[in-house]
Amino acid sequence: MSVRCKSALLLGLALVVTAPPAALSHAAIMEAEVTQAIRLHAFYETGEPMSQAQVFIYAPDDPAQVWGQGIADMQGRYEFIPDAIAGRWSVQVRQAGHGVMAHLDIGADAPVMTISSTPDTWAQRALMVALVAWGALGTALFARSRKGKQDASA
Amino acid sequence: MHLPDGLMPVEMALAGYAGSGLLATISLSRIKRLPDPSSVVPRAAMLTTVFFAASLVAIPVPPTTVHLMLAGLLGVMLGWFAIPAILVGLFLQAVLFGHGGLTTLGLNGLILGLPALLAFGLWRSAGRRWPDLVALCAGSGAVVLALVIFAALVLAGMPAALDARAEQAALWVFMLAHLPLVLAEGLIVLVVLRVLRRTAPQLLPHG
Repeated sequence: MSVRCKSALLLGLALVVTAPPAALSHAAIMEAEVTQAIRLHAFYETGEPMSQAQVFIYAPDDPAQVWGQGIADMQGRYEFIPDAIAGRWSVQVRQAGHGVMAHLDIGADAPVMTISSTPDTWAQRALMVALVAWGALGTALFARSRKGKQDASA
Repeated sequence: MHLPDGLMPVEMALAGYAGSGLLATISLSRIKRLPDPSSVVPRAAMLTTVFFAASLVAIPVPPTTVHLMLAGLLGVMLGWFAIPAILVGLFLQAVLFGHGGLTTLGLNGLILGLPALLAFGLWRSAGRRWPDLVALCAGSGAVVLALVIFAALVLAGMPAALDARAEQAALWVFMLAHLPLVLAEGLIVLVVLRVLRRTAPQLLPHG
Protein backbone atom coordinates (compact mmCIF):
# COMPACT_ATOMS: atom_id res chain seq x y z
CA MET A 1 0.00 0.00 0.00
CA SER A 2 1.40 3.32 -0.98
CA VAL A 3 2.00 6.17 1.39
CA ARG A 4 -0.78 8.18 -0.30
CA CYS A 5 -3.28 5.35 0.18
CA LYS A 6 -2.28 4.96 3.85
CA SER A 7 -2.70 8.69 4.41
CA ALA A 8 -6.14 8.66 2.78
CA LEU A 9 -7.19 5.67 4.90
CA LEU A 10 -5.99 7.31 8.14
CA LEU A 11 -7.72 10.58 7.23
CA GLY A 12 -11.00 8.74 6.58
CA LEU A 13 -10.72 6.83 9.86
CA ALA A 14 -10.00 10.06 11.74
CA LEU A 15 -13.07 11.73 10.21
CA VAL A 16 -15.31 8.84 11.24
CA VAL A 17 -13.96 8.76 14.81
CA THR A 18 -14.02 12.51 15.40
CA ALA A 19 -17.38 13.17 13.71
CA PRO A 20 -19.96 14.62 16.17
CA PRO A 21 -22.68 12.16 17.21
CA ALA A 22 -25.40 14.42 15.84
CA ALA A 23 -24.02 13.90 12.41
CA LEU A 24 -24.89 10.21 12.70
CA SER A 25 -28.58 10.91 13.36
CA HIS A 26 -29.59 12.67 10.21
CA ALA A 27 -32.19 10.03 9.62
CA ALA A 28 -34.88 10.77 12.22
CA ILE A 29 -37.52 8.14 12.79
CA MET A 30 -40.93 8.57 14.29
CA GLU A 31 -43.53 6.00 15.08
CA ALA A 32 -47.00 7.35 15.75
CA GLU A 33 -50.11 5.48 16.78
CA VAL A 34 -53.55 6.43 17.89
CA THR A 35 -54.15 5.11 21.36
CA GLN A 36 -56.55 5.43 24.24
CA ALA A 37 -55.46 7.63 27.14
CA ILE A 38 -57.22 8.00 30.47
CA ARG A 39 -57.58 11.51 31.83
CA LEU A 40 -58.40 11.90 35.52
CA HIS A 41 -59.60 14.91 37.42
CA ALA A 42 -59.49 14.54 41.20
CA PHE A 43 -61.02 17.12 43.47
CA TYR A 44 -62.50 17.38 46.94
CA GLU A 45 -66.24 17.57 47.44
CA THR A 46 -65.90 21.31 47.97
CA GLY A 47 -64.58 21.62 44.40
CA GLU A 48 -60.97 22.22 45.45
CA PRO A 49 -58.58 20.32 43.16
CA MET A 50 -56.36 17.64 44.68
CA SER A 51 -53.23 19.52 43.64
CA GLN A 52 -50.13 17.36 43.35
CA ALA A 53 -51.86 14.37 44.88
CA GLN A 54 -50.25 10.97 44.42
CA VAL A 55 -51.84 8.70 41.81
CA PHE A 56 -51.66 4.89 41.84
CA ILE A 57 -52.87 2.73 38.99
CA TYR A 58 -53.72 -0.98 39.28
CA ALA A 59 -54.12 -3.18 36.19
CA PRO A 60 -56.87 -5.83 35.95
CA ASP A 61 -54.46 -8.76 35.64
CA ASP A 62 -52.69 -7.98 38.95
CA PRO A 63 -54.79 -5.67 41.07
CA ALA A 64 -52.59 -6.15 44.14
CA GLN A 65 -49.51 -4.60 42.50
CA VAL A 66 -49.10 -0.98 41.48
CA TRP A 67 -48.98 -0.87 37.65
CA GLY A 68 -48.02 2.78 37.50
CA GLN A 69 -47.87 5.87 39.65
CA GLY A 70 -47.43 9.60 39.32
CA ILE A 71 -48.32 13.03 40.62
CA ALA A 72 -51.41 15.01 39.61
CA ASP A 73 -50.90 18.56 38.37
CA MET A 74 -51.99 21.69 40.22
CA GLN A 75 -55.56 21.25 38.92
CA GLY A 76 -55.67 17.65 40.14
CA ARG A 77 -55.43 16.27 36.59
CA TYR A 78 -53.45 13.24 35.51
CA GLU A 79 -53.22 11.28 32.26
CA PHE A 80 -51.95 7.81 31.50
CA ILE A 81 -52.10 5.32 28.67
CA PRO A 82 -53.11 1.85 29.88
CA ASP A 83 -51.78 -1.36 28.41
CA ALA A 84 -54.05 -3.34 26.14
CA ILE A 85 -55.50 -5.34 29.02
CA ALA A 86 -59.26 -5.48 29.03
CA GLY A 87 -61.00 -5.41 32.38
CA ARG A 88 -61.40 -3.21 35.40
CA TRP A 89 -58.56 -0.80 36.04
CA SER A 90 -58.41 0.85 39.44
CA VAL A 91 -57.01 4.28 40.10
CA GLN A 92 -56.37 5.68 43.54
CA VAL A 93 -55.66 9.35 44.21
CA ARG A 94 -54.56 10.21 47.73
CA GLN A 95 -53.19 13.13 49.67
CA ALA A 96 -52.74 13.67 53.42
CA GLY A 97 -54.89 10.71 54.40
CA HIS A 98 -57.72 11.72 52.09
CA GLY A 99 -58.42 10.30 48.70
CA VAL A 100 -60.62 8.40 46.34
CA MET A 101 -60.58 5.11 44.48
CA ALA A 102 -62.20 4.97 41.03
CA HIS A 103 -62.63 2.01 38.70
CA LEU A 104 -62.48 2.12 34.92
CA ASP A 105 -63.88 -0.64 32.76
CA ILE A 106 -61.77 -0.84 29.64
CA GLY A 107 -63.01 -3.31 27.06
CA ALA A 108 -61.77 -4.39 23.66
CA ASP A 109 -64.65 -2.77 21.87
CA ALA A 110 -66.54 -0.99 24.63
CA PRO A 111 -65.99 2.64 25.42
CA VAL A 112 -64.21 3.58 28.61
CA MET A 113 -66.63 3.91 31.48
CA THR A 114 -65.81 5.60 34.73
CA ILE A 115 -67.38 4.39 37.92
CA SER A 116 -67.20 6.85 40.73
CA SER A 117 -69.60 8.53 43.08
CA THR A 118 -71.09 11.80 41.94
CA PRO A 119 -71.16 14.65 44.43
CA ASP A 120 -74.54 15.38 45.97
CA THR A 121 -76.29 18.63 45.29
CA TRP A 122 -77.01 20.99 48.16
CA ALA A 123 -80.72 20.23 47.88
CA GLN A 124 -80.04 16.51 48.34
CA ARG A 125 -77.81 17.22 51.29
CA ALA A 126 -80.33 19.53 52.92
CA LEU A 127 -83.04 16.90 52.49
CA MET A 128 -80.91 14.19 54.08
CA VAL A 129 -79.93 16.43 57.00
CA ALA A 130 -83.61 17.31 57.50
CA LEU A 131 -84.54 13.61 57.52
CA VAL A 132 -81.86 12.80 60.07
CA ALA A 133 -82.91 15.80 62.19
CA TRP A 134 -86.51 14.59 62.00
CA GLY A 135 -85.45 11.15 63.17
CA ALA A 136 -83.43 12.61 66.04
CA LEU A 137 -86.30 14.89 67.05
CA GLY A 138 -88.64 11.90 67.05
CA THR A 139 -86.19 9.94 69.20
CA ALA A 140 -85.85 12.86 71.60
CA LEU A 141 -89.61 13.36 71.91
CA PHE A 142 -90.22 9.63 72.32
CA ALA A 143 -87.65 9.39 75.13
CA ARG A 144 -89.09 12.48 76.77
CA SER A 145 -92.70 11.33 76.63
CA ARG A 146 -91.74 7.89 77.95
CA LYS A 147 -89.90 9.48 80.85
CA GLY A 148 -92.92 11.73 81.53
CA LYS A 149 -95.21 8.69 81.69
CA GLN A 150 -92.82 6.90 84.06
CA ASP A 151 -92.67 9.96 86.31
CA ALA A 152 -96.48 10.25 86.30
CA SER A 153 -96.96 6.58 87.16
CA ALA A 154 -94.44 6.83 89.97
CA MET B 1 -61.27 14.70 58.89
CA HIS B 2 -62.52 11.25 58.02
CA LEU B 3 -60.48 8.36 56.67
CA PRO B 4 -62.17 7.20 53.45
CA ASP B 5 -62.65 3.67 52.16
CA GLY B 6 -59.84 2.05 50.22
CA LEU B 7 -56.85 3.90 51.67
CA MET B 8 -56.16 2.01 54.87
CA PRO B 9 -54.86 -1.58 55.14
CA VAL B 10 -57.45 -4.23 56.01
CA GLU B 11 -55.67 -5.14 59.26
CA MET B 12 -55.87 -1.54 60.46
CA ALA B 13 -59.53 -1.28 59.51
CA LEU B 14 -60.26 -4.44 61.52
CA ALA B 15 -58.24 -3.14 64.46
CA GLY B 16 -60.24 0.09 64.25
CA TYR B 17 -63.48 -1.87 64.49
CA ALA B 18 -62.12 -3.77 67.49
CA GLY B 19 -61.07 -0.52 69.20
CA SER B 20 -64.34 1.24 68.52
CA GLY B 21 -66.29 -1.85 69.58
CA LEU B 22 -64.41 -1.86 72.87
CA LEU B 23 -65.08 1.86 73.36
CA ALA B 24 -68.78 1.36 72.61
CA THR B 25 -69.00 -1.59 75.03
CA ILE B 26 -67.36 0.39 77.83
CA SER B 27 -69.56 3.40 77.11
CA LEU B 28 -72.79 1.40 77.11
CA SER B 29 -71.89 -0.34 80.36
CA ARG B 30 -71.15 3.05 81.94
CA ILE B 31 -74.43 4.45 80.59
CA LYS B 32 -76.32 1.53 82.16
CA ARG B 33 -74.86 2.44 85.53
CA LEU B 34 -76.20 6.01 85.33
CA PRO B 35 -79.14 6.68 87.70
CA ASP B 36 -81.41 7.89 84.86
CA PRO B 37 -79.87 7.21 81.46
CA SER B 38 -83.08 7.91 79.50
CA SER B 39 -82.98 11.56 80.60
CA VAL B 40 -79.88 12.10 78.43
CA VAL B 41 -81.38 10.44 75.32
CA PRO B 42 -83.15 13.58 73.98
CA ARG B 43 -79.97 15.62 74.30
CA ALA B 44 -77.90 12.83 72.74
CA ALA B 45 -80.33 12.55 69.81
CA MET B 46 -80.23 16.27 69.08
CA LEU B 47 -76.46 16.58 69.44
CA THR B 48 -76.00 13.58 67.15
CA THR B 49 -77.84 15.54 64.47
CA VAL B 50 -75.71 18.62 65.09
CA PHE B 51 -72.56 16.49 64.81
CA PHE B 52 -73.88 14.80 61.66
CA ALA B 53 -74.69 18.12 59.97
CA ALA B 54 -71.50 19.89 61.12
CA SER B 55 -69.38 17.95 58.64
CA LEU B 56 -71.22 19.68 55.80
CA VAL B 57 -70.00 23.12 56.87
CA ALA B 58 -66.76 23.48 54.95
CA ILE B 59 -64.62 26.36 56.17
CA PRO B 60 -62.04 27.47 53.59
CA VAL B 61 -58.55 27.66 55.10
CA PRO B 62 -56.20 28.03 52.10
CA PRO B 63 -54.86 25.86 50.58
CA THR B 64 -57.49 23.45 51.88
CA THR B 65 -60.84 23.41 53.66
CA VAL B 66 -61.71 22.16 57.10
CA HIS B 67 -64.98 21.22 58.75
CA LEU B 68 -66.21 21.22 62.32
CA MET B 69 -65.70 18.04 64.36
CA LEU B 70 -67.46 18.92 67.64
CA ALA B 71 -65.90 15.97 69.46
CA GLY B 72 -65.12 18.23 72.42
CA LEU B 73 -68.66 19.59 72.58
CA LEU B 74 -70.15 16.09 72.45
CA GLY B 75 -67.76 14.85 75.11
CA VAL B 76 -68.58 17.67 77.51
CA MET B 77 -72.34 17.67 76.87
CA LEU B 78 -72.97 13.94 76.62
CA GLY B 79 -70.23 12.20 78.58
CA TRP B 80 -70.30 8.45 77.82
CA PHE B 81 -73.22 9.01 75.44
CA ALA B 82 -70.75 10.76 73.12
CA ILE B 83 -69.39 7.43 71.84
CA PRO B 84 -72.69 6.00 70.51
CA ALA B 85 -73.61 9.48 69.25
CA ILE B 86 -70.35 9.75 67.28
CA LEU B 87 -70.62 6.22 65.88
CA VAL B 88 -74.21 6.77 64.74
CA GLY B 89 -73.28 10.14 63.21
CA LEU B 90 -70.27 8.69 61.40
CA PHE B 91 -72.35 5.80 60.07
CA LEU B 92 -74.98 8.16 58.68
CA GLN B 93 -72.30 10.42 57.15
CA ALA B 94 -70.69 7.44 55.44
CA VAL B 95 -73.95 5.97 54.15
CA LEU B 96 -75.72 9.16 53.10
CA PHE B 97 -72.85 11.39 51.96
CA GLY B 98 -69.93 9.04 51.38
CA HIS B 99 -68.09 11.11 54.00
CA GLY B 100 -65.57 8.74 55.55
CA GLY B 101 -66.30 5.09 54.84
CA LEU B 102 -67.89 1.94 56.14
CA THR B 103 -64.61 0.00 56.26
CA THR B 104 -62.97 2.86 58.15
CA LEU B 105 -65.91 3.48 60.48
CA GLY B 106 -64.01 1.93 63.39
CA LEU B 107 -60.89 4.01 62.81
CA ASN B 108 -62.92 7.19 62.42
CA GLY B 109 -64.77 6.29 65.60
CA LEU B 110 -61.43 6.20 67.42
CA ILE B 111 -60.27 9.48 65.83
CA LEU B 112 -63.28 11.32 67.23
CA GLY B 113 -64.33 9.10 70.14
CA LEU B 114 -61.10 9.23 72.12
CA PRO B 115 -60.92 13.07 71.97
CA ALA B 116 -64.56 13.22 73.09
CA LEU B 117 -63.68 11.11 76.12
CA LEU B 118 -60.67 13.35 76.80
CA ALA B 119 -62.98 16.39 76.81
CA PHE B 120 -65.42 14.54 79.08
CA GLY B 121 -62.62 13.64 81.48
CA LEU B 122 -61.33 17.20 81.56
CA TRP B 123 -64.78 18.63 82.22
CA ARG B 124 -65.60 16.04 84.85
CA SER B 125 -62.37 16.53 86.76
CA ALA B 126 -62.06 20.33 86.70
CA GLY B 127 -65.18 21.76 85.08
CA ARG B 128 -66.70 23.01 88.32
CA ARG B 129 -63.58 24.85 89.44
CA TRP B 130 -62.56 26.55 86.18
CA PRO B 131 -65.52 26.20 83.83
CA ASP B 132 -64.38 28.67 81.16
CA LEU B 133 -60.79 27.52 81.00
CA VAL B 134 -61.75 23.85 81.00
CA ALA B 135 -64.40 24.40 78.31
CA LEU B 136 -61.82 26.08 76.08
CA CYS B 137 -59.23 23.36 76.73
CA ALA B 138 -61.78 20.57 76.19
CA GLY B 139 -62.89 21.91 72.80
CA SER B 140 -59.40 22.76 71.55
CA GLY B 141 -57.70 19.74 73.07
CA ALA B 142 -60.18 17.40 71.40
CA VAL B 143 -59.30 18.77 67.96
CA VAL B 144 -55.57 18.52 68.66
CA LEU B 145 -55.90 14.91 69.83
CA ALA B 146 -58.06 14.04 66.82
CA LEU B 147 -55.40 15.52 64.51
CA VAL B 148 -52.64 13.56 66.23
CA ILE B 149 -54.55 10.27 66.02
CA PHE B 150 -55.47 10.92 62.38
CA ALA B 151 -51.86 11.69 61.40
CA ALA B 152 -50.55 8.68 63.33
CA LEU B 153 -53.00 6.34 61.59
CA VAL B 154 -52.20 7.77 58.14
CA LEU B 155 -48.46 7.41 58.72
CA ALA B 156 -48.86 3.89 60.12
CA GLY B 157 -50.98 2.79 57.18
CA MET B 158 -48.89 4.25 54.37
CA PRO B 159 -48.28 1.74 51.57
CA ALA B 160 -44.68 1.14 50.49
CA ALA B 161 -45.31 2.61 47.04
CA LEU B 162 -46.36 5.98 48.48
CA ASP B 163 -43.88 8.84 48.43
CA ALA B 164 -43.56 9.17 52.20
CA ARG B 165 -41.95 12.62 52.14
CA ALA B 166 -44.66 14.09 49.92
CA GLU B 167 -47.37 12.55 52.09
CA GLN B 168 -45.75 13.85 55.29
CA ALA B 169 -45.47 17.35 53.78
CA ALA B 170 -49.15 17.22 52.76
CA LEU B 171 -50.06 16.05 56.26
CA TRP B 172 -48.21 19.00 57.81
CA VAL B 173 -50.09 21.43 55.57
CA PHE B 174 -53.35 19.69 56.48
CA MET B 175 -52.63 19.90 60.21
CA LEU B 176 -51.54 23.54 60.08
CA ALA B 177 -54.75 24.38 58.22
CA HIS B 178 -56.66 23.02 61.22
CA LEU B 179 -55.07 25.43 63.71
CA PRO B 180 -57.93 27.96 63.38
CA LEU B 181 -60.35 25.11 64.02
CA VAL B 182 -58.51 24.28 67.26
CA LEU B 183 -59.34 27.76 68.54
CA ALA B 184 -62.84 27.82 67.01
CA GLU B 185 -63.95 24.56 68.62
CA GLY B 186 -62.62 25.70 72.00
CA LEU B 187 -64.66 28.88 71.66
CA ILE B 188 -67.77 26.93 70.59
CA VAL B 189 -67.66 24.81 73.77
CA LEU B 190 -66.98 27.92 75.86
CA VAL B 191 -69.90 29.87 74.34
CA VAL B 192 -72.37 26.96 74.53
CA LEU B 193 -71.60 26.32 78.19
CA ARG B 194 -71.76 30.03 79.04
CA VAL B 195 -75.14 30.37 77.35
CA LEU B 196 -76.44 27.31 79.19
CA ARG B 197 -75.13 28.66 82.48
CA ARG B 198 -77.12 31.86 82.00
CA THR B 199 -80.29 30.56 80.40
CA ALA B 200 -80.73 26.94 81.46
CA PRO B 201 -78.31 25.95 84.22
CA GLN B 202 -80.21 22.69 84.77
CA LEU B 203 -78.90 21.50 81.38
CA LEU B 204 -75.27 22.05 82.33
CA PRO B 205 -73.36 18.77 82.34
CA HIS B 206 -71.49 17.98 85.52
CA GLY B 207 -70.35 14.41 84.94
